[in-house]
Amino acid sequence: MGQKEHLRNFGMLAILIIILCALPSNINLYLRSVIMFTMMYVVLSLSWNIISGYTGYVSFGHVMFYGIGAYATGILVVDYGWHWIPTLFVGVFVSFVVSLIIGFPVLRLKGPYFAIAMLGAAEGTRVVATVWEDLTHGGEGIGLPNVENSFETYFAMLVVMLATIVVSYWVGHSRFGIRLNAIREDEIAAESLGINTTFYKLFAFALSAIFPAAAGGIQAYKVLYIDPETEFFILVTIYMKLFAMFGGKGTVIGPILGTFILYIVQEITWVKFPTAHLIAFGVFIVLVARFMPRGLMGFAIDKGWARKGMVH
Amino acid sequence: MQEKAEIRSKYWLAVFLVAAYTIPFGVGIYTDNVFFDLQWLADLTTVILNGIMQGGVYAMFAVGLTLIFGVMRIINVAHGELVMLGAYLTWMFFFYVGVDPLLALFITLPIAFCIGLLIQKLLLNAVVGGPELTPLLITFGLGLTIIHIVEAIFTTDYRTIPYAPDAFQLTETIAVSRSKIISFVMAAFISISVFVFLKLHRLGKAIRATAQNADVAMVCGINIFHIYMITSGLAAALAVAGGALVSIQFGFNPETGVLYTLQAFAIIVLGGRGHYIGALIGGVMLAVIESLISFMIPNGTAMVEIASYGMMVFVLLIRPRGLMGPKEN
Amino acid sequence: MAEAEIALDIQNLKKYFGGIKAVDGCTFQVPKGQISGLIGPNGSGKTTTFNLLTGVLEADSGDVFYNGENIVGLRPYEIFNRGISRTFQITRIYREMTVFENMLSASSMKIPVREARERAEQLMEFVTLTKLRGEYGGNLSYGQQKLLEFARALMTDPDLILLDEPAAGVNRTLLNNLLEHIHHLQEDQGKTVLIVEHDMNVIMNHCEKVFVLDYGVKIAEGLPEDIQKNEDVIEAYFGHR
Ligand SMILES: Nc1ncnc2c1ncn2[C@@H]1O[C@H](COP(=O)(O)OP(=O)(O)OP(=O)(O)O)[C@@H](O)[C@H]1O
Ligand SMILES: [Mg+2]
Repeated sequence: MGQKEHLRNFGMLAILIIILCALPSNINLYLRSVIMFTMMYVVLSLSWNIISGYTGYVSFGHVMFYGIGAYATGILVVDYGWHWIPTLFVGVFVSFVVSLIIGFPVLRLKGPYFAIAMLGAAEGTRVVATVWEDLTHGGEGIGLPNVENSFETYFAMLVVMLATIVVSYWVGHSRFGIRLNAIREDEIAAESLGINTTFYKLFAFALSAIFPAAAGGIQAYKVLYIDPETEFFILVTIYMKLFAMFGGKGTVIGPILGTFILYIVQEITWVKFPTAHLIAFGVFIVLVARFMPRGLMGFAIDKGWARKGMVH
Repeated sequence: MQEKAEIRSKYWLAVFLVAAYTIPFGVGIYTDNVFFDLQWLADLTTVILNGIMQGGVYAMFAVGLTLIFGVMRIINVAHGELVMLGAYLTWMFFFYVGVDPLLALFITLPIAFCIGLLIQKLLLNAVVGGPELTPLLITFGLGLTIIHIVEAIFTTDYRTIPYAPDAFQLTETIAVSRSKIISFVMAAFISISVFVFLKLHRLGKAIRATAQNADVAMVCGINIFHIYMITSGLAAALAVAGGALVSIQFGFNPETGVLYTLQAFAIIVLGGRGHYIGALIGGVMLAVIESLISFMIPNGTAMVEIASYGMMVFVLLIRPRGLMGPKEN
Repeated sequence: MAEAEIALDIQNLKKYFGGIKAVDGCTFQVPKGQISGLIGPNGSGKTTTFNLLTGVLEADSGDVFYNGENIVGLRPYEIFNRGISRTFQITRIYREMTVFENMLSASSMKIPVREARERAEQLMEFVTLTKLRGEYGGNLSYGQQKLLEFARALMTDPDLILLDEPAAGVNRTLLNNLLEHIHHLQEDQGKTVLIVEHDMNVIMNHCEKVFVLDYGVKIAEGLPEDIQKNEDVIEAYFGHR
């Protein structure tokens, strides 16, 4: 039974890829970038989901990895004249190292304390990006050369998104993911039943740190200007959290679904009601957390459209 | 011995605090911001005094948070937004009605109490005792909502209330601004009143009983949901009182609330989560460290935020119960 | 009966919670390849002893030797990987994971998934939870949760199994099956089992050796029928507490 399901899921993914490959040459620049940013948020919310949805360590500061990626690209392209593609790998590597350094102490904190410590870590990186002017150009930010080609960034983002989806799919259908779930449910039991929780948490955290770095790098190359305020903007974390929660955290399809729905909604409302839209997002977080903590997927499970659990 | 780990953690906390207070001096010496002459010492004294005064305000942020945590085990991350709201309420009464910022407390505190009550009744009562992260997310969303509503009304401009800005000359070289002294006295007065209320009043005792053990309190005929609502109301009132004190000495805008939450959180972690006196002491300690940092470290004001986070993370890792919090298993 | 080999050698184990001396210099040897019982009045330190043995709590002092190695100070997963598995008195199943996932979570990563799945199926079959394999652990009844814990503890084929009140809340027929299975594990596979239990029938009829704790100290050990007559034990249970 497993085999068939995997085939079906990969079939769906293949269709999505075909559509996303065919789209860009048939649509205008604006739509192309909307889709690119949607894909970016799929990357972000799926990554957040690995540490927060599967492992239960809700991060309020995941924007830091996105910002690190953006800065790696910005600095290397502008100050060192690199081609932008290799800079993505540097961003991913730096993010990976930072995630290990920060994760080791911070993942020992539980629940809300982890969440707030991550908020602090993100704010801290922002302050560093502001203060360390020699490296980051400080508060005035970095302007990137305007050679961007919207097809390049589009397809780069598509590749990163596919990588994130494939890794999430693996997490969501393997004993590794089950072990992360066990840590979320009861860390003491998990540890007593043979799970090296320190290692697994760190592994999950590192996984959830590398994809946002790549996405942040591509994004920097696309928007042509980065500064600490926008690249470490807490709203980015809020979006990834909300999209994943709305779709259903701890599932693969949930964050993807949540992003597609909510990002499009925010894209439409953003321009017309800039402030009201933020108020609405606040209210929306309250409502989702209070009334549908398991998101759309939870709803689907209750209706019998989807099965409980991830391995059957 | 079980006590061994206990003593070890106490020892490490002491080491950490000593380090936290000496590092600014170290960095100051390294960057040539420290001169051991009389003028510098007088400046240092001023800074420390100011820090202590400011600590009163910080304590105001923190006692409400610690009350909520103590009674319901909930971390209200919208707490700083309530402080910010308090500052705006005071500002409104001052500018539109012309009420003295401190007299305005007689109007703003009841309003705040009702807000807290409503938040508790509508959003939090149902999630007390459930997964810890649900109230965190709810209050987070609530905070976001408050920020942007205030922003929609008042924009992101910084506001201030000119209030007793002149300095009070302690000696020739040491001066503290009068507004700081006034707010310290107010903070001390309010927090002591609340403390007395908790210790002596029937309702205060019921609140403490609920904090000790909600199930037992319920069996003893206490309606714990009423207690939760009153606690939240009280906490909101304390936050708004803190906001009033903020408004007469600092500039504020809708986004400063985030920093207040953070500081309040660092303070209650340091003092011991749920511990009332701990929050007061922690408030003063954090404020003094912050003053030392901005006095001696270049770019120090940017570092202040980091100090709070660092304090919080280290204390949680070294000794989760902080200075005087109850032991947990 | 000849002196059996020792599976677990517990020496002078201590754990205080503030003023409460939960385990206060406990010394005993669990014989290898037998079913032993650990009994004592409520609050005598049985669960705390289990927590110390499995590394969930850090001992204040004392040693525990398992296969000649001192396992005090090891992390729980390291102890588990040396072949000591356990259940909890207050069940600790994963509430928002299915029964099947609960089972798989405890499988060793060293064996292939297919094998782990098969083992999980067999054990679920044995504790009659196959029908509920896709149900969330949190939706099971208390007795079913106990069964799930028992099955989960056997996923890695451990050599030493610590059971904290396996009988509580489990119906008679199933309990008998369970005990039968425990005997089978012991007799045919040479496993060592240590059971904490308040149900004296279980202790008297199934354990070869019994240890009695009171106020964190071992006050007696021996054959079940001797323990029944032991003055100190009677005093501990019925005396002026
Ligand atoms: N985490 C803890 N913190 C403080 N005291 C504890 C803790 N765990 C156990 N105790 C105390 O240690 C003593 C021994 O408890 P333990 O749970 O080991 O008893 P037990 O023999 O398993 O009892 P029961 O038969 O009721 O399960 C009790 O007095 C208990 O209150
Ligand atoms: Mg017990």
